[in-house]
Amino acid sequence: MPDNFEDFLQIRRFLKERIQRDYTTFRGHEKERENIRQLLQRTAEMAESNSLLLIGPRGAGKTTLINAVLTDLLNNPDFIQNTLIVHLNGYLYTDDKLALKSITIQMQLENACDGKVFGSFAENLAFLLECLKSGNKRSKSVVFILEEFDLFCAHHNQTLLYNLFDVSQSAQAPICILGLTCRLDVIELLEKRVKSRFSHRQVFLFPNAGDVSFYMKLFEILLKIPNENELKKHAKRVASLKLLQSDELTFHRNHYDPGKYKFKKRITEHWNNHIDTLLQHTNVKQALQNLFEFDVSEAGLKIFIFRLIAQLQNCPGKNEITSEQITQLMSSYSNDSKVEILCGLSVLEICLIIAIKHHSEIYDRDPFNFEIIYTRFNKFANISSSMQGIERGVILKAFEHLRNLELLLPIGSCNSSSKVQKEFEMHKLALTFGQIQQAVQRYQVLPTEVTQWSQSSII
Amino acid sequence: ATTRIGTPKRSIHMSNVVEELVFDKREILSTPTLKSKKSLIFNKEEEDIEKILQRVTPKKPAEKTPKRGRRSNSNYLKDSETPKTPKTPKTPSQKLKMLRSGELTPSFKEREKIDQSKSTKNILQLARECLHVSAVPLSLPCREKEFENIYTFLEDKIKDQCGGCMYISGVPGTGKTATVTGVIRALQKQVQEEALPTFDYLEINGMRLTEPRQAYVHIYRQLTGKTVTWEHAHTLLEKRFTTTSPRRMTTVLLVDELDILCNRRQDVVYNLLDWPTKTTARLVVITIANTMDLPERLLMSKVTSRLGLTRLTFQPYSHKQLQEIVTTRLSGSEAFKSEAIQLVARKVAAVSGDARRALDICRRATEIADSSKDKEICVNLLHVQQALSEMIASAKVQAIKNCSRLEQILLQAIAAEVARTGIEETFFMGVYAQLENIAHYSGGVLIPTIGQVLRLCSKLGAQRLIICEHSRNDIFQKILLNVSMDDIHYALKVTSDATT
Repeated sequence: MPDNFEDFLQIRRFLKERIQRDYTTFRGHEKERENIRQLLQRTAEMAESNSLLLIGPRGAGKTTLINAVLTDLLNNPDFIQNTLIVHLNGYLYTDDKLALKSITIQMQLENACDGKVFGSFAENLAFLLECLKSGNKRSKSVVFILEEFDLFCAHHNQTLLYNLFDVSQSAQAPICILGLTCRLDVIELLEKRVKSRFSHRQVFLFPNAGDVSFYMKLFEILLKIPNENELKKHAKRVASLKLLQSDELTFHRNHYDPGKYKFKKRITEHWNNHIDTLLQHTNVKQALQNLFEFDVSEAGLKIFIFRLIAQLQNCPGKNEITSEQITQLMSSYSNDSKVEILCGLSVLEICLIIAIKHHSEIYDRDPFNFEIIYTRFNKFANISSSMQGIERGVILKAFEHLRNLELLLPIGSCNSSSKVQKEFEMHKLALTFGQIQQAVQRYQVLPTEVTQWSQSSII
Repeated sequence: ATTRIGTPKRSIHMSNVVEELVFDKREILSTPTLKSKKSLIFNKEEEDIEKILQRVTPKKPAEKTPKRGRRSNSNYLKDSETPKTPKTPKTPSQKLKMLRSGELTPSFKEREKIDQSKSTKNILQLARECLHVSAVPLSLPCREKEFENIYTFLEDKIKDQCGGCMYISGVPGTGKTATVTGVIRALQKQVQEEALPTFDYLEINGMRLTEPRQAYVHIYRQLTGKTVTWEHAHTLLEKRFTTTSPRRMTTVLLVDELDILCNRRQDVVYNLLDWPTKTTARLVVITIANTMDLPERLLMSKVTSRLGLTRLTFQPYSHKQLQEIVTTRLSGSEAFKSEAIQLVARKVAAVSGDARRALDICRRATEIADSSKDKEICVNLLHVQQALSEMIASAKVQAIKNCSRLEQILLQAIAAEVARTGIEETFFMGVYAQLENIAHYSGGVLIPTIGQVLRLCSKLGAQRLIICEHSRNDIFQKILLNVSMDDIHYALKVTSDATT
């Protein structure tokens, strides 16, 4: 094993960096990748205008796919010379005015100067359209990448989308519009004239949910250390990213750089063998299977592995990934956070929760207020030995604490809360009875009286 | 007067004295004959403005090529020859001033490498170029009747020197704008042959405006090249159209996407349609929109009354027409098999009758044929079928198949809950109970906790397989199924069959 402290540190750093900051490696989906690559290439080389929507669930690698394709194309000098890339995100550019300013800056039009745009919104739009209109087959192609495309559909009149799609369907400057979204029904959001101008090319990117073996393979790839040749190949690829001169596509600035790392052959072999044996373990297989059943995306797996790597420490027994670690981490996934909150409450608050549970069980989840619960609690407190003599104010405080934790949700808080006194405000319980049952069982040193009371409402 | 020397060419075009009055001290230019000739040249330019905007022609001595972008040597020399041209803008505000006065034309960056010559392209690539929606043919097939209709209307109006309105409607992609611009082109050709008096042609598009009132600004800019505020532009246009002028020519104004120009007050639409009624204006307005009954539905009655009853509806293309359109585009090229075109035409005509859709599908089919590396370079039925399945895509079944196991169980649980209650809207708690049951039966699955199921819910909600509320509502949120129950059964049934 990495006996040396430096070696160990290097492995950990390498694995972490690769998981977090490798923005351009995309695995699988060769057909989709080729489709988009050809589309962009045709836009750049033959000055065709195109539009495309890339649709897939969150964490399926839509952005990574685009980044990977761009990285491929950057090796081609013609592509860089002939294209401008304009990158827009629907979360950042919340209306057409802001988006238009950003486009003007990124395209370096005449009315932009050092990141500042002159003129009003109307002037900017008119100027941009004039510019695009003045272009022809001999002008540079522009690739618009619209992330969170569905949010652009919410803009007023969809002016920006209409104009971009309109340019792509008329004899003007060659542009390519790439929309990225996770909504399957995004086309229904487009207005009919915008929809008509969109070319209806849709590329769907679904994570490979068919077989778990691909998932296992991915786990292996993400944990193993590549050999020297592969590292060099990667480093070359990353170096080409420097050609990307875009202020908005910033992934090249802080990209993971495999050129920095050099592993001794012995250590690489040792580590990789260790991962191999780990993968043979049935517990590991089971844990991964469970994870796979919950979330098939690569992003989910990466988070899992990152947590795993972060547990590595440079002391014997902890400097390797063990199957126990994996099963332990997996079990932490299925912990119920609400039960954990319940276990942190005081006994008084647990008693109130039990009173609420009894009320809900009897009246079939009818809403309740403080007075109802107070009465029910008092019945129990009077005969119990440990809960006697608690003042009403203290109990109200405990009730409010539960409310602030959002274990109790007020009903119709917006209209009536100001008028109703807080003792009489109606609430509902945001827990299932199973959760309360679990919490009572898990609670440390709960008085036996309370445990018994929780079993039955009859006192 | 010296300040205005920048754009003398455009100002010739203004045939009345209003601008001279406003911008005072402008000398009125030359004789009517010369004027009409010059504006005739200008009209030609308008026609293919795309090509010419870039080039500095001798007619535009004051035009200044912008600093960035292409500046060929000849242009540079010309600049130095004419000492009166405004200097290169130094500060951004100077630049903005020049942009507003129209002295600085917008330009676009040039390629550093010239694109491929035509000879290197294969038959499919050539076909793909012809099939691009932007490659509008000189005469539109299957729109002869509409062409004739608009042509006679405009010709009469121009000959009679009076104003008028026309309303054209039809679903998107049925060749409305292309036909109208085709008519204008034909008329401008007539003007060139001096068979018709000259006329001005202006066009605005509702969707290219940020708000309806910007229409004034755009119209005014097309007349003079200057950008002013909308209030100013409005008064100037009002003056232009309401005052008599001896040498006023007919102006044809094309208003695309009329419904966007309708705001609550409808003042812009009213003005645009009111000016033709003035005898002094000689304005012919052609309005284009999608819905047939827009005047009755959206416009105020006084506006509807001014719009008149000269209307024309563009019907969606039938499959025969679509077939003809595609074959005309291909113009004798043998890239497509005829049955392939027929399939596209029939499929598209059944859905929308949108010509853009048909052309895009054909283009995609050429791409597929190109990448399939077949020996025979021809688009056959299989390619078209693949393109159709890609572009008239319903990916919901595929999406369900590619969900994780627990997500699939959740979808099943929602479907079961809908079946149980009989109401489409389900509550999280009921769904969770169903989910627990199904998970028990299917075996080998860990039963997820409520927090996990809430996560699954929001994940499916982001994909729009289900519609759910914000998870702030916790276990009381309502869940709606956004896919049909049959889709779920079909997707899950087929996958389970495949695995066993």
